[in-house]
Amino acid sequence: MLALLGLGLSACQPDLEKDFEPSNGTADFSNYIAVGNSLTAGFSDGGLYLEGQQQSFPAILAQQFATVGGGEFVQPLFGAGQENGSGYLRLANIVNGLPVTASVNTNLALRQGATAARPLYTKFTGQINNLGVPGIRLSDIETAGYGSVLGNPFFERITPDAQATQTYLQRVAASNPTFFTNWLGNNDVLGFATAGGAANSLTSVADFTDKNSKVIDALTATGAKGVVATIPDVTTIPFFTTVGPSFRTTLEAGKVSGLVIQTGAAPGGATSANRKPITTGDIKAVDGTGRQLFTLLSSPFLPLVGTKTGRPWRYVYGQSGQPAAGFPLFLAAYGIDTTAAFGVSAGNPIPSLFVLDDVEQGQVRTATNNFNAAIKTKAAAKGLAVFDANAFFSTVASNGLVVNGVNNTAGFVSGNLFSLDGVHPTPRGYAVVANEMIKVINSTYGAKVPTVNPTSYRGVKFP
Amino acid sequence: MKFKSLLLAGGALLSATAASAGGYQVTLAGIKNNGMGGVGVGLSLDQAAMFYNPGALAMVRDRGVQIGANFTFARNSFVAEGSSTQRELRNSVVTPVSLFAGFGPQEGKFRAGIAVYTPFGSKLQYADGWEGRTSLTDIDLKSVFVQPTVSYAITDQLSIGAGLVVLAYGAVNLQRDIPLPDSFGHIELDGKAETKFGVNAGIFFKPSEKLSVGVSYRSKIDARVKDGDVTFSGLSPAFAPNFQATKFSATLPLIATTSIGFGIMPTENLTIGIDASLANWSAYKTLRFDFDQPILDSKTRLPTTVSESKREYQDALTFRVGAQYKLTSGLVVRAGGSYDESPVKDGFVTPETPDNDRIGGTLGASYNFGKFGVDLSAQYVGIKKRTQTQQELVTNGTTDRIAGTYKTNIVIPGIGLNYTF
Repeated sequence: MLALLGLGLSACQPDLEKDFEPSNGTADFSNYIAVGNSLTAGFSDGGLYLEGQQQSFPAILAQQFATVGGGEFVQPLFGAGQENGSGYLRLANIVNGLPVTASVNTNLALRQGATAARPLYTKFTGQINNLGVPGIRLSDIETAGYGSVLGNPFFERITPDAQATQTYLQRVAASNPTFFTNWLGNNDVLGFATAGGAANSLTSVADFTDKNSKVIDALTATGAKGVVATIPDVTTIPFFTTVGPSFRTTLEAGKVSGLVIQTGAAPGGATSANRKPITTGDIKAVDGTGRQLFTLLSSPFLPLVGTKTGRPWRYVYGQSGQPAAGFPLFLAAYGIDTTAAFGVSAGNPIPSLFVLDDVEQGQVRTATNNFNAAIKTKAAAKGLAVFDANAFFSTVASNGLVVNGVNNTAGFVSGNLFSLDGVHPTPRGYAVVANEMIKVINSTYGAKVPTVNPTSYRGVKFP
Repeated sequence: MKFKSLLLAGGALLSATAASAGGYQVTLAGIKNNGMGGVGVGLSLDQAAMFYNPGALAMVRDRGVQIGANFTFARNSFVAEGSSTQRELRNSVVTPVSLFAGFGPQEGKFRAGIAVYTPFGSKLQYADGWEGRTSLTDIDLKSVFVQPTVSYAITDQLSIGAGLVVLAYGAVNLQRDIPLPDSFGHIELDGKAETKFGVNAGIFFKPSEKLSVGVSYRSKIDARVKDGDVTFSGLSPAFAPNFQATKFSATLPLIATTSIGFGIMPTENLTIGIDASLANWSAYKTLRFDFDQPILDSKTRLPTTVSESKREYQDALTFRVGAQYKLTSGLVVRAGGSYDESPVKDGFVTPETPDNDRIGGTLGASYNFGKFGVDLSAQYVGIKKRTQTQQELVTNGTTDRIAGTYKTNIVIPGIGLNYTF
């Protein structure tokens, strides 16, 4: 009887694993190639650095693909002693409940002679699977010289010297994937949006559609299967949602009924069309009322509203990279009077760089919708899986996302999903992206790729 | 914070043998009953009748004392939604013990007795770093019930009895991890239950040598832990100010149970028992913890002194059947089975009680050496595989627990010694 009991005990442990055997379905993960921009590279906290690379969503996907026949996945990782890559932001302190960030600029991967202002990074020219290039727009993929020292330093970094004129599209075409992810196009709206419509341009729909088609054709030329992702609605990211609500509360408390902002990028003085009065109630609040969005970068300057100051304009001009001597000309071109009260007078409006106003939002939204239509149409024609990042992040913005009992939101710092730049995900955000991609891969290709536990990946790192 | 386990534990305490599903409690009072699928309400086997049906005690011919121990081995497997990795418990053994002593005049109509039992003892230690760590990492529940009992035979065929149920000792230790942006902290709640009282009463009717019937009722007790200790650990300095509580209190309804049982004795050597029980689990709506100082709610990110988690249990039925056969004058063999409805609705399963409907099978034997006897039992309880999806959790507002698939098996060998005066 005791022997029987012993037997019973050892047989007692339930075996569930056989119910959840991973399988690759109809997909072949042996050579997975990741195509995209900063999101694909693992950019986080305003920079590309080793930890972000190691927890990029393609790296997480590749780790999971390894359970179903996935092959080696090489990323252009920053090496020892250069692990901080381009440099990044860290959370230095919380003062009065507000985050204070500081730059990490030691152990960078800058090449001899390069500067942080015009960086060139230590080369990584071997065969790689993660072709994510921070900053690349879909409109850039056929630009010869984009990988040269005058082009994009992140693409230059992974471009072999012998092929300095190779375009991004050519690089993709030569990658010979059996499976791919493609998430290009964010920067075709993002640069315009984060500059408050004051810089950069929106890519034309025709150009976007054409180049999206070309990159998908290149990836599927040898029959590869893959996932494409849509472009999220950038107006719900912390970069645009963090500052405005508290600013509005401050203005209301101070009985400031309205502001004057600058809109667009066109020069012109106090009476020109680039001045735009807005009411305080038109600043978008947490409850969804109001429309105007203030960028994260405006935060240090908003307390100056009502004072006579030129500081915001020196910052804006500084961003242009032009010689300091040109500052008076810049002020003259835009009719800025730094002796007028900042933010509440047409003579000294809030710079366009700091506000994505309702008109600009409309432009961004229209472009995003058109681009996403192009992405989905092409994916449908090729039978590819689609991760609708736009729909997903909209849901996260309105409802939050609970995974394994842990609450995450689209909030800044405390939300766990977005890093300190307010735009790019944290490692947990990337893990969530990887899981969403796995879900559409599984449903499209009849695969059973296991997801990861996003809770094991960190949100914002605290001091 | 999920302390439903505590609640469940409590419920299990009260209703331990006969009825209650849920938790890691299994029907463990009399070793003889254990071998027969846990039946007992319609039988008068021995002093353990005090637990199953105090009304039957007066019909127990022998006066005596018995002690028993049950070695509970629970084996649980869990796979989180979307994952392929099986998580298993850091296994442990729980050993509830019981004591029943019956007294009374040899031929009198009265019987008195005292019962000490630990109908609920649960200890679960989930795997390090498992997906549900912010729901629960460890739970340890202990309880001792003491039940002085009197029973009176109104006629040769009809007897009644009642016991004062005293929650004499109850202890709870619950631990879980606290999700922080870049790490995990840990909270441990440790407390003792206040002494509380309830009633266990029953009627037993034996119209013939071949048939008996019993009805019993155990009342609800609200077990209360007051001023339990709260201990935080692993909190980095940036977060520690958000977690200042040092004391907690919680109340757990130990639900009422009503049972009916039949005994059928076709021959002198064969006894068959059939029981049905209704456990009023619907009293368990929420599990609430009150803290002496605010702690940060990880969902709302606001400080709060109250933590509530939905349970919304539903009343559940249990059916049991078992038989014993006297092979020789000294040797009795037993077998039985049970079916236990889960009180936990879909989308409400928590790691404290990864519950579902249960199917049990039992074997048992007794051997008597004059006034001494040894009882052995072996139970196998299979808790059916249960899957809940994140979508169900979102729909029910129960995202404080985890989506995935649970399966649990429990093996409980038991041994009892008895002495007849």
